[in-house]
Amino acid sequence: MRAEGIDKTYVSGLVFRKRHQVLRNVSLKIEEGRTLGLMGPSGCGKTTLGMILAGLLNPSAGRILYHEKDIRNLKGEELRAYRRGVQMVFQDPEGSLNPRKSIERSIHEVLRLLKTPEKEWRSRTLEALEGVGLSEELLCRYPSQISGGQGQRVALSRVLLLNPRVLILDEPTSALDISVQAQILGLLKDLQRERGLSYLLISHQPEVVRFMSHETAIL
Amino acid sequence: MTDLQDFMQGCSRAASESMANNQAILSIEDLSVSFETAMGRVMAADGVCLKLHERETVALVGETGCGKSVVVSSIVQLLPGNASVRGRAIYEGRDLLSLGEKEMAGIRGSEIAMIFQNPSLALNPIIKAAEQIAEPVIIHWRLPKSQALDKAGEMLRRLGLGNRAIPGMFPFQLSGGMNQRVMIAAAMILSPKIIIADEPSKGLDANSADEVMGEIARLRDSAGASLLLITHDLGLARKISDRMAVMYCGQIIETGRCEDIFNQPLHPYTKALLNCLPQRGFQPIPGSSPSMIEPPEGCRFYPRCPERQDECCMKAGLQMVRILGPEGEVLREVRCRLY
Repeated sequence: MRAEGIDKTYVSGLVFRKRHQVLRNVSLKIEEGRTLGLMGPSGCGKTTLGMILAGLLNPSAGRILYHEKDIRNLKGEELRAYRRGVQMVFQDPEGSLNPRKSIERSIHEVLRLLKTPEKEWRSRTLEALEGVGLSEELLCRYPSQISGGQGQRVALSRVLLLNPRVLILDEPTSALDISVQAQILGLLKDLQRERGLSYLLISHQPEVVRFMSHETAIL
Repeated sequence: MTDLQDFMQGCSRAASESMANNQAILSIEDLSVSFETAMGRVMAADGVCLKLHERETVALVGETGCGKSVVVSSIVQLLPGNASVRGRAIYEGRDLLSLGEKEMAGIRGSEIAMIFQNPSLALNPIIKAAEQIAEPVIIHWRLPKSQALDKAGEMLRRLGLGNRAIPGMFPFQLSGGMNQRVMIAAAMILSPKIIIADEPSKGLDANSADEVMGEIARLRDSAGASLLLITHDLGLARKISDRMAVMYCGQIIETGRCEDIFNQPLHPYTKALLNCLPQRGFQPIPGSSPSMIEPPEGCRFYPRCPERQDECCMKAGLQMVRILGPEGEVLREVRCRLY
């Protein structure tokens, strides 16, 4: 996956429009099975770049290439493959889960989107939980009833059901305790080894980036 | 026992002697807090004993949900109605836990101040910053509002918020770091003897967190107050504390001077927790934190402990072992059968 010459300008105000350029001519490459660390101070546009790569925001200029194809020109099956293949994991696990749905329903929602036959839901759900080291008893709970580390694991298990190739990890451990941070980083490393995933790791903690990344980019 | 022998040789005697001579300003004795919930009885704190000496900073560290905040909230009687509290918290000869609301309100804010986590939520969103800081002065010292507001402005200037517009701004117009400073100003304006800071750097970016902690330490020193710091950030605890108490699943499992604990942790949990630090390679602790409704019998860390022995899971409650220095002073306390 590559980003070429990305610019992003936010415009605010209705009458007196203010323009605020956050990204200027940014290019980077995420290679298969490797981790690219992205560092920079608060407000420098790290998350904006992550969201552009995940297709959640449009760049003002430049292009994103997925398997050497511009994502703006993708259609049909290719677009679906990109949408599933590139997933984003956010900083705040509680914010990524619907507070009114139990963990089981949150996972079933993904399976429904994947058109998985309903009789396989139970086994696929348990498989997903096992993959991120969680137990079955969590299924009946709601996001507010689980810890931050468990929430981040649930968010990760939902993303992994889509069988992605690239994960954009936006400060995945900065809201977590030091001991849980170590567990999640270990889990991410194991998943990369087992599935050959590529990561873009956005973090302001130099130690985390040094521990996880093969290459580092500073914004 | 080699760890223990090494520690005995390496400990710094001078510091522990000064601690022993110093008087405890707050003494928490056998504090237990439980909550009745639909899922069962949650034992959030169990037999917690902790002393805070004059002009001393003690950090209470542990993972989220281990009961740190419950311990400090119970001292200032800020727990919800479904909590049942046992034990004593002695402050100047009075047991804080047995005081009535009126007496407690007199102590809260003026003698024991609390800095809460998430300042943007703890402050009233529709009252201006200076008015929130001045409120304790008006209530406790009965000063006229204009004088109290002057004092609030002066406090904000001391905390680096000298801009004339800031006292008249509302919390939603200020950043997280600025709000935390407003909260520190409100907590410190009456020069309390004890400051309780509950995760004061949570939710702030690294730079703001460092600045906020620097301000707290500076005000602590200028007021000659004692600080009880609640945090899960071990680096922060080491930077500004004299002593550290490590908590796991509602119990304090090790106490000692920060440097001693960092250099020579005794309890297997403390060792595992320190190994999670970036400089030690993010080594995770196997397993997950136990339920507080049905905690493991015997040692609570037993199911995850790499040094466990058969007798560790025995039913009898595990007591704190005191490790004494050559002159009988308490150097370290640890709740483990290995010692």
